Amino acid sequence: METNNQQQQQQGAQAQSGPYPVAGAGGSAGAGAGAPPPFQHLLQQQQQQLQMFWSYQRQEIEHVNDFKNHQLPLARIKKIMKADEDVRMISAEAPILFAKACELFILELTIRSWLHAEENKRRTLQKNDIAAAITRTDIFDFLVDIVPRDEIKDDAALVGATASGVPYYYPPIGQPAGMMIGRPAVDPATGVYVQPPSQAWQSVWQSAAEDASYGTGGAGAQRSLDGQS
Amino acid sequence: MADSDNDSGGAHNGGKGSEMSPREQDRFLPIANVSRIMKKALPANAKISKDAKETVQECVSEFISFITGEASDKCQREKRKTINGDDLLWAMTTLGFEDYVEPLKGYLQRFREMEGEKTVAARDKDAPPLTNATNSAYESANYAAAAAVPGGIMMHQGHVYGSAGFHQVAGGAIKGGPAYPGPGSNAGRPR
Repeated sequence: METNNQQQQQQGAQAQSGPYPVAGAGGSAGAGAGAPPPFQHLLQQQQQQLQMFWSYQRQEIEHVNDFKNHQLPLARIKKIMKADEDVRMISAEAPILFAKACELFILELTIRSWLHAEENKRRTLQKNDIAAAITRTDIFDFLVDIVPRDEIKDDAALVGATASGVPYYYPPIGQPAGMMIGRPAVDPATGVYVQPPSQAWQSVWQSAAEDASYGTGGAGAQRSLDGQS
Repeated sequence: MADSDNDSGGAHNGGKGSEMSPREQDRFLPIANVSRIMKKALPANAKISKDAKETVQECVSEFISFITGEASDKCQREKRKTINGDDLLWAMTTLGFEDYVEPLKGYLQRFREMEGEKTVAARDKDAPPLTNATNSAYESANYAAAAAVPGGIMMHQGHVYGSAGFHQVAGGAIKGGPAYPGPGSNAGRPR
Protein backbone atom coordinates (compact mmCIF):
# COMPACT_ATOMS: atom_id res chain seq x y z
CA MET A 1 0.00 0.00 0.00
CA GLU A 2 2.80 2.41 0.85
CA THR A 3 4.43 1.77 -2.51
CA ASN A 4 1.15 2.34 -4.32
CA ASN A 5 0.60 5.58 -2.47
CA GLN A 6 4.03 6.83 -3.39
CA GLN A 7 3.55 5.93 -7.04
CA GLN A 8 0.16 7.60 -7.12
CA GLN A 9 1.65 10.64 -5.47
CA GLN A 10 4.48 10.92 -7.94
CA GLN A 11 2.22 10.42 -10.92
CA GLY A 12 -0.17 13.07 -9.69
CA ALA A 13 2.57 15.54 -8.89
CA GLN A 14 4.42 15.05 -12.17
CA ALA A 15 1.48 14.98 -14.54
CA GLN A 16 -0.51 17.63 -12.68
CA SER A 17 -3.52 15.49 -13.57
CA GLY A 18 -5.67 12.87 -11.91
CA PRO A 19 -6.61 12.85 -8.24
CA TYR A 20 -4.03 13.05 -5.50
CA PRO A 21 -3.96 9.96 -3.27
CA VAL A 22 -6.67 11.10 -0.88
CA ALA A 23 -8.47 7.82 -1.50
CA GLY A 24 -5.21 6.07 -0.65
CA ALA A 25 -5.03 7.89 2.66
CA GLY A 26 -8.64 6.95 3.37
CA GLY A 27 -7.85 3.36 2.51
CA SER A 28 -4.95 3.42 4.93
CA ALA A 29 -7.17 4.67 7.73
CA GLY A 30 -9.78 2.04 6.91
CA ALA A 31 -7.20 -0.74 6.89
CA GLY A 32 -6.48 -0.14 10.58
CA ALA A 33 -3.49 -2.00 11.99
CA GLY A 34 -0.29 -1.81 9.94
CA ALA A 35 -1.24 1.31 8.02
CA PRO A 36 0.78 4.50 8.58
CA PRO A 37 -1.05 7.32 10.39
CA PRO A 38 -2.93 9.61 7.96
CA PHE A 39 -1.21 12.76 9.15
CA GLN A 40 2.21 11.31 8.45
CA HIS A 41 1.12 10.51 4.92
CA LEU A 42 -0.13 14.03 4.33
CA LEU A 43 3.03 15.51 5.80
CA GLN A 44 5.21 13.47 3.47
CA GLN A 45 2.94 14.39 0.59
CA GLN A 46 3.28 18.10 1.23
CA GLN A 47 7.03 17.97 1.65
CA GLN A 48 7.46 15.97 -1.50
CA GLN A 49 5.20 18.26 -3.51
CA LEU A 50 6.99 21.39 -2.37
CA GLN A 51 10.41 19.88 -3.01
CA MET A 52 9.37 18.93 -6.51
CA PHE A 53 7.86 22.37 -6.98
CA TRP A 54 11.11 24.20 -6.13
CA SER A 55 13.23 21.78 -8.10
CA TYR A 56 10.97 22.22 -11.11
CA GLN A 57 11.09 26.00 -10.80
CA ARG A 58 14.88 26.00 -10.84
CA GLN A 59 14.93 23.91 -13.99
CA GLU A 60 12.19 25.86 -15.72
CA ILE A 61 13.76 29.25 -15.08
CA GLU A 62 17.06 28.06 -16.51
CA HIS A 63 15.31 27.53 -19.83
CA VAL A 64 13.76 30.97 -20.02
CA ASN A 65 14.95 32.80 -23.11
CA ASP A 66 12.09 35.21 -23.73
CA PHE A 67 11.34 37.91 -21.16
CA LYS A 68 8.54 39.48 -23.17
CA ASN A 69 5.86 36.87 -22.59
CA HIS A 70 4.88 37.21 -18.96
CA GLN A 71 2.17 35.47 -17.05
CA LEU A 72 1.37 38.80 -15.39
CA PRO A 73 1.05 42.32 -16.81
CA LEU A 74 4.10 44.45 -16.00
CA ALA A 75 2.23 47.75 -16.06
CA ARG A 76 -0.13 46.55 -13.36
CA ILE A 77 2.74 45.31 -11.19
CA LYS A 78 4.43 48.68 -11.52
CA LYS A 79 1.21 50.44 -10.55
CA ILE A 80 0.89 48.33 -7.42
CA MET A 81 4.52 49.07 -6.51
CA LYS A 82 3.94 52.81 -7.00
CA ALA A 83 0.90 52.76 -4.72
CA ASP A 84 3.44 53.23 -1.93
CA GLU A 85 4.15 56.97 -1.90
CA ASP A 86 7.70 56.40 -0.66
CA VAL A 87 8.53 54.51 -3.84
CA ARG A 88 9.99 56.95 -6.32
CA MET A 89 11.82 55.30 -9.20
CA ILE A 90 11.67 51.68 -10.32
CA SER A 91 14.19 50.09 -12.67
CA ALA A 92 12.92 48.23 -15.72
CA GLU A 93 14.05 44.90 -14.29
CA ALA A 94 11.99 45.22 -11.09
CA PRO A 95 8.50 44.52 -12.53
CA ILE A 96 9.95 41.72 -14.65
CA LEU A 97 11.51 40.11 -11.59
CA PHE A 98 8.24 40.55 -9.70
CA ALA A 99 6.29 38.90 -12.50
CA LYS A 100 8.23 35.71 -11.86
CA ALA A 101 8.28 36.14 -8.06
CA CYS A 102 4.51 36.55 -7.97
CA GLU A 103 4.10 33.43 -10.05
CA LEU A 104 6.17 31.48 -7.51
CA PHE A 105 4.14 33.03 -4.69
CA ILE A 106 0.80 32.10 -6.27
CA LEU A 107 1.99 28.56 -6.94
CA GLU A 108 3.25 28.02 -3.38
CA LEU A 109 0.14 29.53 -1.80
CA THR A 110 -2.10 27.41 -4.02
CA ILE A 111 -0.22 24.17 -3.31
CA ARG A 112 -0.44 24.75 0.43
CA SER A 113 -4.12 25.68 0.16
CA TRP A 114 -4.96 22.59 -1.85
CA LEU A 115 -3.67 20.35 0.93
CA HIS A 116 -6.34 21.80 3.21
CA ALA A 117 -9.05 21.14 0.64
CA GLU A 118 -7.85 17.55 0.34
CA GLU A 119 -7.96 17.07 4.10
CA ASN A 120 -11.62 18.04 3.94
CA LYS A 121 -12.29 15.69 1.01
CA ARG A 122 -13.16 18.53 -1.36
CA ARG A 123 -12.24 19.01 -5.02
CA THR A 124 -12.95 22.75 -5.03
CA LEU A 125 -10.45 25.20 -3.58
CA GLN A 126 -12.24 27.64 -1.28
CA LYS A 127 -11.41 30.82 0.57
CA ASN A 128 -10.97 29.02 3.88
CA ASP A 129 -8.33 26.80 2.27
CA ILE A 130 -6.35 29.95 1.47
CA ALA A 131 -6.90 31.13 5.04
CA ALA A 132 -5.64 27.81 6.38
CA ALA A 133 -2.46 27.98 4.30
CA ILE A 134 -1.85 31.52 5.53
CA THR A 135 -2.22 30.61 9.20
CA ARG A 136 -0.03 27.53 8.80
CA THR A 137 2.87 29.18 7.01
CA ASP A 138 5.16 31.61 8.83
CA ILE A 139 6.27 33.57 5.79
CA PHE A 140 2.61 34.31 5.03
CA ASP A 141 2.08 36.15 8.34
CA PHE A 142 1.81 39.45 6.51
CA LEU A 143 -1.40 38.18 4.88
CA VAL A 144 -3.45 37.58 8.03
CA ASP A 145 -5.42 40.78 7.47
CA ILE A 146 -6.53 39.58 4.04
CA VAL A 147 -8.73 36.80 5.40
CA PRO A 148 -11.70 37.76 7.57
CA ARG A 149 -11.92 36.61 11.18
CA ASP A 150 -14.70 34.12 10.57
CA GLU A 151 -12.45 32.25 8.16
CA ILE A 152 -9.82 32.11 10.88
CA LYS A 153 -12.43 31.06 13.43
CA ASP A 154 -13.26 28.08 11.24
CA ASP A 155 -9.61 27.16 11.38
CA ALA A 156 -9.54 27.55 15.14
CA ALA A 157 -12.45 25.13 15.42
CA LEU A 158 -10.67 22.70 13.14
CA VAL A 159 -7.57 22.99 15.28
CA GLY A 160 -9.64 21.67 18.17
CA ALA A 161 -10.87 18.81 16.04
CA THR A 162 -7.37 17.83 14.96
CA ALA A 163 -6.34 17.33 18.57
CA SER A 164 -8.23 14.06 18.41
CA GLY A 165 -7.39 13.22 14.82
CA VAL A 166 -5.27 14.53 11.98
CA PRO A 167 -2.95 17.32 13.13
CA TYR A 168 -3.66 20.61 11.44
CA TYR A 169 -0.27 22.26 11.14
CA TYR A 170 2.83 21.06 9.34
CA PRO A 171 6.39 22.33 9.80
CA PRO A 172 7.77 24.47 6.98
CA ILE A 173 9.72 22.41 4.50
CA GLY A 174 13.34 21.83 5.39
CA GLN A 175 13.03 23.40 8.84
CA PRO A 176 13.06 21.70 12.25
CA ALA A 177 9.71 21.53 13.98
CA GLY A 178 8.61 24.82 15.48
CA MET A 179 11.49 26.88 14.15
CA MET A 180 10.51 30.33 12.91
CA ILE A 181 11.45 31.34 9.39
CA GLY A 182 12.47 34.88 8.58
CA ARG A 183 11.24 37.21 11.28
CA PRO A 184 8.22 37.51 13.59
CA ALA A 185 4.83 38.67 12.36
CA VAL A 186 4.90 42.22 11.05
CA ASP A 187 1.54 43.30 12.47
CA PRO A 188 1.54 42.56 16.21
CA ALA A 189 -0.92 45.41 16.77
CA THR A 190 -3.70 43.77 14.80
CA GLY A 191 -4.22 41.15 17.48
CA VAL A 192 -5.48 38.63 14.95
CA TYR A 193 -3.26 35.91 16.40
CA VAL A 194 -3.61 34.63 19.90
CA GLN A 195 -0.24 32.95 19.41
CA PRO A 196 2.18 32.54 16.49
CA PRO A 197 1.36 29.63 14.16
CA SER A 198 4.59 27.81 14.92
CA GLN A 199 3.68 27.56 18.60
CA ALA A 200 0.20 26.41 17.68
CA TRP A 201 1.81 23.77 15.53
CA GLN A 202 3.96 22.53 18.40
CA SER A 203 0.95 22.38 20.68
CA VAL A 204 -1.16 20.45 18.19
CA TRP A 205 1.70 18.16 17.28
CA GLN A 206 2.30 17.22 20.91
CA SER A 207 -1.40 16.65 21.47
CA ALA A 208 -1.56 14.50 18.37
CA ALA A 209 1.51 12.53 19.44
CA GLU A 210 -0.20 11.63 22.71
CA ASP A 211 -3.36 10.53 20.96
CA ALA A 212 -3.30 6.80 20.26
CA SER A 213 -6.47 6.61 18.22
CA TYR A 214 -5.41 7.80 14.77
CA GLY A 215 -7.06 4.92 13.02
CA THR A 216 -10.45 5.74 14.47
CA GLY A 217 -10.13 9.47 13.80
CA GLY A 218 -10.58 9.85 10.06
CA ALA A 219 -13.11 12.19 8.51
CA GLY A 220 -15.42 12.05 11.50
CA ALA A 221 -12.86 13.65 13.79
CA GLN A 222 -12.13 16.36 11.26
CA ARG A 223 -15.77 17.32 11.00
CA SER A 224 -16.54 17.23 14.70
CA LEU A 225 -16.30 20.54 16.52
CA ASP A 226 -15.45 19.63 20.08
CA GLY A 227 -14.50 23.23 20.84
CA GLN A 228 -11.10 22.27 22.17
CA SER A 229 -8.56 24.99 21.34
CA MET B 1 -0.18 41.30 -25.29
CA ALA B 2 0.69 40.33 -21.78
CA ASP B 3 0.89 43.98 -20.81
CA SER B 4 -2.70 44.71 -21.76
CA ASP B 5 -5.02 45.84 -18.99
CA ASN B 6 -8.01 44.47 -20.86
CA ASP B 7 -7.78 41.16 -19.02
CA SER B 8 -9.52 42.60 -15.98
CA GLY B 9 -12.51 43.82 -17.99
CA GLY B 10 -15.63 41.91 -16.95
CA ALA B 11 -13.69 39.69 -14.60
CA HIS B 12 -15.40 41.16 -11.55
CA ASN B 13 -19.00 40.97 -12.65
CA GLY B 14 -20.41 39.08 -9.68
CA GLY B 15 -20.71 39.78 -5.97
CA LYS B 16 -17.96 41.84 -4.41
CA GLY B 17 -16.48 42.35 -7.86
CA SER B 18 -19.46 44.32 -9.12
CA GLU B 19 -18.93 46.87 -6.38
CA MET B 20 -15.28 47.31 -7.31
CA SER B 21 -14.66 50.47 -9.29
CA PRO B 22 -12.41 50.43 -12.36
CA ARG B 23 -9.83 52.34 -10.31
CA GLU B 24 -9.91 49.71 -7.58
CA GLN B 25 -9.29 46.95 -10.10
CA ASP B 26 -5.90 48.52 -10.71
CA ARG B 27 -4.92 47.44 -7.22
CA PHE B 28 -4.98 43.78 -8.23
CA LEU B 29 -3.49 41.68 -10.96
CA PRO B 30 -6.06 40.40 -13.46
CA ILE B 31 -8.07 37.51 -12.05
CA ALA B 32 -7.70 35.52 -15.28
CA ASN B 33 -3.91 35.56 -15.05
CA VAL B 34 -3.95 34.68 -11.36
CA SER B 35 -6.42 31.87 -11.98
CA ARG B 36 -4.32 30.41 -14.79
CA ILE B 37 -1.25 30.25 -12.56
CA MET B 38 -3.24 28.70 -9.70
CA LYS B 39 -4.41 25.90 -11.99
CA LYS B 40 -0.81 24.95 -12.69
CA ALA B 41 -0.46 24.04 -9.00
CA LEU B 42 -3.56 21.84 -8.88
CA PRO B 43 -4.70 18.50 -10.28
CA ALA B 44 -6.61 18.71 -13.54
CA ASN B 45 -9.96 17.85 -11.96
CA ALA B 46 -9.65 20.43 -9.19
CA LYS B 47 -11.88 23.49 -9.23
CA ILE B 48 -11.27 26.95 -7.81
CA SER B 49 -14.07 29.00 -6.27
CA LYS B 50 -14.50 32.65 -7.20
CA ASP B 51 -13.75 33.83 -3.68
CA ALA B 52 -10.54 31.78 -3.60
CA LYS B 53 -9.35 33.47 -6.79
CA GLU B 54 -10.21 36.90 -5.42
CA THR B 55 -8.47 36.16 -2.14
CA VAL B 56 -5.28 35.17 -3.95
CA GLN B 57 -5.54 38.36 -6.04
CA GLU B 58 -5.48 40.36 -2.82
CA CYS B 59 -2.65 38.25 -1.41
CA VAL B 60 -0.47 38.89 -4.47
CA SER B 61 -0.95 42.66 -4.25
CA GLU B 62 -0.08 42.47 -0.58
CA PHE B 63 3.03 40.45 -1.45
CA ILE B 64 4.16 43.07 -3.97
CA SER B 65 3.58 45.91 -1.50
CA PHE B 66 5.29 43.98 1.31
CA ILE B 67 8.48 43.31 -0.67
CA THR B 68 8.48 46.74 -2.33
CA GLY B 69 8.14 48.50 1.02
CA GLU B 70 11.16 46.70 2.44
CA ALA B 71 13.21 47.36 -0.71
CA SER B 72 12.20 51.02 -0.70
CA ASP B 73 13.30 51.42 2.92
CA LYS B 74 16.69 49.98 2.02
CA CYS B 75 17.09 52.39 -0.92
CA GLN B 76 16.26 55.35 1.29
CA ARG B 77 18.81 54.27 3.92
CA GLU B 78 21.42 54.08 1.19
CA LYS B 79 20.34 57.40 -0.38
CA ARG B 80 19.40 55.76 -3.65
CA LYS B 81 16.28 56.68 -5.62
CA THR B 82 15.76 53.69 -7.88
CA ILE B 83 14.61 50.26 -6.72
CA ASN B 84 16.35 47.56 -8.74
CA GLY B 85 16.21 43.79 -8.94
CA ASP B 86 18.89 43.22 -6.31
CA ASP B 87 16.96 45.33 -3.81
CA LEU B 88 13.92 43.13 -4.33
CA LEU B 89 15.97 39.96 -3.88
CA TRP B 90 17.46 41.35 -0.68
CA ALA B 91 14.00 42.25 0.61
CA MET B 92 12.72 38.74 -0.11
CA THR B 93 15.59 37.22 1.83
CA THR B 94 14.99 39.59 4.75
CA LEU B 95 11.28 38.80 4.82
CA GLY B 96 11.68 35.03 4.78
CA PHE B 97 11.29 34.17 1.11
CA GLU B 98 14.74 32.64 0.73
CA ASP B 99 13.37 29.81 -1.41
CA TYR B 100 12.38 32.32 -4.07
CA VAL B 101 15.76 34.03 -4.31
CA GLU B 102 17.77 31.21 -5.88
CA PRO B 103 15.55 30.71 -8.95
CA LEU B 104 15.02 34.44 -9.30
CA LYS B 105 18.75 35.20 -9.24
CA GLY B 106 19.22 33.02 -12.29
CA TYR B 107 16.21 34.62 -13.92
CA LEU B 108 17.50 38.14 -13.30
CA GLN B 109 20.97 37.26 -14.54
CA ARG B 110 19.60 35.89 -17.81
CA PHE B 111 17.41 38.94 -18.24
CA ARG B 112 20.38 41.25 -17.83
CA GLU B 113 22.37 39.23 -20.35
CA MET B 114 19.53 39.59 -22.83
CA GLU B 115 19.24 43.28 -22.12
CA GLY B 116 22.92 43.59 -22.95
CA GLU B 117 22.24 41.98 -26.32
CA LYS B 118 19.24 44.25 -26.86
CA THR B 119 21.32 47.35 -26.21
CA VAL B 120 23.41 46.52 -29.26
CA ALA B 121 20.36 45.74 -31.36
CA ALA B 122 18.59 48.87 -30.15
CA ARG B 123 20.81 51.11 -32.26
CA ASP B 124 19.49 49.52 -35.42
CA LYS B 125 15.97 50.26 -34.25
CA ASP B 126 16.55 54.01 -34.22
CA ALA B 127 16.17 54.30 -37.98
CA PRO B 128 12.66 52.98 -38.69
CA PRO B 129 10.36 54.05 -35.83
CA LEU B 130 7.76 51.42 -36.68
CA THR B 131 6.18 51.59 -33.24
CA ASN B 132 4.61 54.95 -34.10
CA ALA B 133 1.14 55.40 -35.53
CA THR B 134 0.23 53.52 -38.69
CA ASN B 135 0.51 56.63 -40.85
CA SER B 136 3.96 57.49 -39.54
CA ALA B 137 5.02 53.88 -39.87
CA TYR B 138 3.85 53.80 -43.46
CA GLU B 139 5.76 56.96 -44.30
CA SER B 140 8.85 55.65 -42.53
CA ALA B 141 8.61 52.42 -44.45
CA ASN B 142 8.44 54.29 -47.74
CA TYR B 143 11.32 56.48 -46.69
CA ALA B 144 13.45 53.52 -45.71
CA ALA B 145 12.59 51.65 -48.89
CA ALA B 146 13.46 54.66 -51.04
CA ALA B 147 16.71 55.35 -49.22
CA ALA B 148 18.09 51.86 -48.73
CA VAL B 149 19.48 49.09 -50.91
CA PRO B 150 17.43 45.87 -51.21
CA GLY B 151 19.41 44.45 -48.30
CA GLY B 152 17.95 47.21 -46.19
CA ILE B 153 14.50 45.76 -46.66
CA MET B 154 15.58 42.55 -44.97
CA MET B 155 16.96 44.51 -42.05
CA HIS B 156 13.67 46.37 -42.03
CA GLN B 157 11.79 43.14 -41.45
CA GLY B 158 14.24 42.11 -38.77
CA HIS B 159 13.54 45.32 -36.90
CA VAL B 160 9.84 44.62 -36.90
CA TYR B 161 10.43 41.26 -35.27
CA GLY B 162 12.87 42.64 -32.74
CA SER B 163 10.57 45.40 -31.55
CA ALA B 164 7.74 43.13 -30.41
CA GLY B 165 6.46 42.81 -26.86
CA PHE B 166 7.87 44.59 -23.85
CA HIS B 167 10.54 46.51 -25.70
CA GLN B 168 7.94 47.86 -28.09
CA VAL B 169 6.25 49.69 -25.25
CA ALA B 170 9.50 51.26 -24.12
CA GLY B 171 10.53 52.03 -27.70
CA GLY B 172 7.23 53.69 -28.44
CA ALA B 173 7.56 55.86 -25.36
CA ILE B 174 11.01 57.01 -26.43
CA LYS B 175 10.10 57.72 -30.04
CA GLY B 176 6.69 59.21 -29.39
CA GLY B 177 8.00 62.69 -28.67
CA PRO B 178 10.42 63.35 -31.52
CA ALA B 179 8.05 61.90 -34.10
CA TYR B 180 5.47 64.63 -33.66
CA PRO B 181 7.47 67.83 -34.34
CA GLY B 182 8.13 66.89 -37.93
CA PRO B 183 9.38 64.29 -40.41
CA GLY B 184 12.86 65.77 -40.30
CA SER B 185 13.47 64.34 -36.83
CA ASN B 186 13.55 60.78 -38.19
CA ALA B 187 16.91 61.25 -39.81
CA GLY B 188 18.60 58.15 -38.35
CA ARG B 189 19.73 55.48 -40.80
CA PRO B 190 20.96 51.91 -40.46
CA ARG B 191 24.53 51.44 -41.50
